[in-house]
Amino acid sequence: MHRIATLLLLPLLGGPALARAAEPDVNQIVRAIDERQRNQGDWKALCYMEQREKGKTDVVYELVVYRRDLANQQLFLFTKPKSEAGKGYLRLEKNLWFYDPGVGRWERRTERERIGGTETRRGDLDESKLAEEYDANYLGSEKLGAYQVHKIELKVKPGVDVAFPVVRLWVDQATDNVLKRQELALSGRLMRTAYYPRWKKVHSQSKKGDVWYPEEMRFFDEIEKANSTHIVIQQIDLRSLEANIFTKAWLESKSR
Amino acid sequence: MKMLATDLLVAGRNLLRHTRRNLFLGGAIAAVAALLVLFLGLVAGFRGAMMESATTLMCGHVNVGGFFKITSGTSAPLVTDWPKVMEDVRRLVPELEYATIRGRGYVKAISDSESMDLVISAIQIEKERRFRRVVELTEGRLDDLGQPNTILLSDKQAERLHVKVGDALTLSAPTARGVSNTMDVRVAGVMRSVGVLSSIFAFLPEESLRRLYQLNDRTTGAIHLFLKDPDAAPQVMSRLLADLRKAGYRVMDHDPQPYWMKLMMKVNSEDWTGQKLDVTTWQDEVSFLDTMLKIVSALATILVSVLLFIVVIGIMNTLWIAIRERTREIGTLRAIGMQRTKVAWLFLLEAGLLALGGATAGVLAGWGLSALVNAANLKVNEGLQMLISQDHLSVVIRPGALALYVAGITLLTAVGALLPAVRASRLRPVTAMHHIG
Repeated sequence: MHRIATLLLLPLLGGPALARAAEPDVNQIVRAIDERQRNQGDWKALCYMEQREKGKTDVVYELVVYRRDLANQQLFLFTKPKSEAGKGYLRLEKNLWFYDPGVGRWERRTERERIGGTETRRGDLDESKLAEEYDANYLGSEKLGAYQVHKIELKVKPGVDVAFPVVRLWVDQATDNVLKRQELALSGRLMRTAYYPRWKKVHSQSKKGDVWYPEEMRFFDEIEKANSTHIVIQQIDLRSLEANIFTKAWLESKSR
Repeated sequence: MKMLATDLLVAGRNLLRHTRRNLFLGGAIAAVAALLVLFLGLVAGFRGAMMESATTLMCGHVNVGGFFKITSGTSAPLVTDWPKVMEDVRRLVPELEYATIRGRGYVKAISDSESMDLVISAIQIEKERRFRRVVELTEGRLDDLGQPNTILLSDKQAERLHVKVGDALTLSAPTARGVSNTMDVRVAGVMRSVGVLSSIFAFLPEESLRRLYQLNDRTTGAIHLFLKDPDAAPQVMSRLLADLRKAGYRVMDHDPQPYWMKLMMKVNSEDWTGQKLDVTTWQDEVSFLDTMLKIVSALATILVSVLLFIVVIGIMNTLWIAIRERTREIGTLRAIGMQRTKVAWLFLLEAGLLALGGATAGVLAGWGLSALVNAANLKVNEGLQMLISQDHLSVVIRPGALALYVAGITLLTAVGALLPAVRASRLRPVTAMHHIG
């Protein structure tokens, strides 16, 4: 009788522990996401950003993104449309600067600035630093369309400044690619949903391995439902960039 | 004295001898004076409405605001430890009538169908004497703004967002540290728009803005000081700036620009962190509107100056004609012993008398016209309302200024008459008496 009772109680007592044991290591998943996108060297890419906003004409921006990840440097140079050509953002350490050749002046902007007034933020075009900025919590395994995914919730670490303090990720179990990302405000309200339908890899000499990047990103504003931004990244070049690219003078020279 | 009375009598009689010509000239002077009164009264009306609107909606007569920078690239319009600053300000400004605190912010307001950017002024409604007196609600109750998570919109904002009292809005803004945050609020009231400011400013309870921005209760946006005499604002501002520095505060140099312009264009680019106070007057906070007012004033001044110039030329011309007509008379007067200065004085007196009469009549006519405009309560169209901060035309006349206008016009006309008068006095008696006019 005791043996039967023990057998009946075993799943109830040991179930949660067994389930936890079956959970994948969420921190390892997050680290893997960062590691796959890490480059270490220089990065140059051609980007197209299509901004859709309610009551406004759709605008497509063409810009060149330069990165020097080890030095935390970034530079965005707008090349199209004509009205935006020559404008740019320069990130030096923790400062983000905006340059408008029309007024010929540099303005310091917040790190969480919407790039060109779109739904895109600087961090969307930077390498992934999830493990550095957030604590992860595994929410479960589920289906996202045809993909079996890990659902993960990230909460910002104390003392770290980020635009969204809570982030939810849907990560493809087969590839560790992020397929969907939801970003929540401090109040808990959903602010932005991002989809990453296509991932590509490119070989990096500096990393001596592959660097993965989302070739396409779609951002949907969840507060103003009609607003969205579609980004396409092309022509990745991981060769070393000139030393003077990440300077104000270089960006100014491009708009002359 | 008796001599002056005689001179005035002579000058008056001479003026009456050429009634039609002098009536035309006096009429022209009167028209210019009336226009001057009306134009300057309108500008004073615009300025008064702008001050009323600005000091009700966005600032005090003098403001102690400031910026807090967590890093050199991240700044927010904040005053930390405001109770201490308030205590010092009360001590340093004896001209103070009362003071309030206001939170400063910028949010995106989203309704079910629309969205718009709003500049937020967060208020403690029970302490806002002037606000309660001036703001006119078309819907809702002002006291409801004392409840948390409420908002007061202008009628134009409510129309654009398609909301009415009781409807919900979502406000979205980054906190002082740049973290996204939102807040759901209920429309507590809709107020009548007055000018461009009420189309961009909306009002939240102070405590609600603190929660949206994650601020503690010793942090606010600015301290608004309302003075017994608003005209003393520039002097109080200069003195307070120096006194706050002496009291150990870090205070920015005076820059006559609104705080949001400094936030966007200046403070973020400066390499400092921590708190700095910024002392401004209401004129500084609406300097972006003041430019328009200066243009209107300049145009009015140019127009009146041109008219005045034409009148002075007219006076000179009339005196030239009078001298030609009265050359023999001048010769006779000189021959019987009248001094040159006396001759010049008589001609000057004639011109002065004409100008005084014309200017007095004109100024009184302008005053009457202004009273008529005010009584007619003329409504202005919406575009103009935005610029002049008033929905009905109002002309503000200071009686003291009227005497100045009369004196100014008389003096200018007399200066214009100086040359012909001197010319008349230089005529040789023999030549003048032989003149055949």
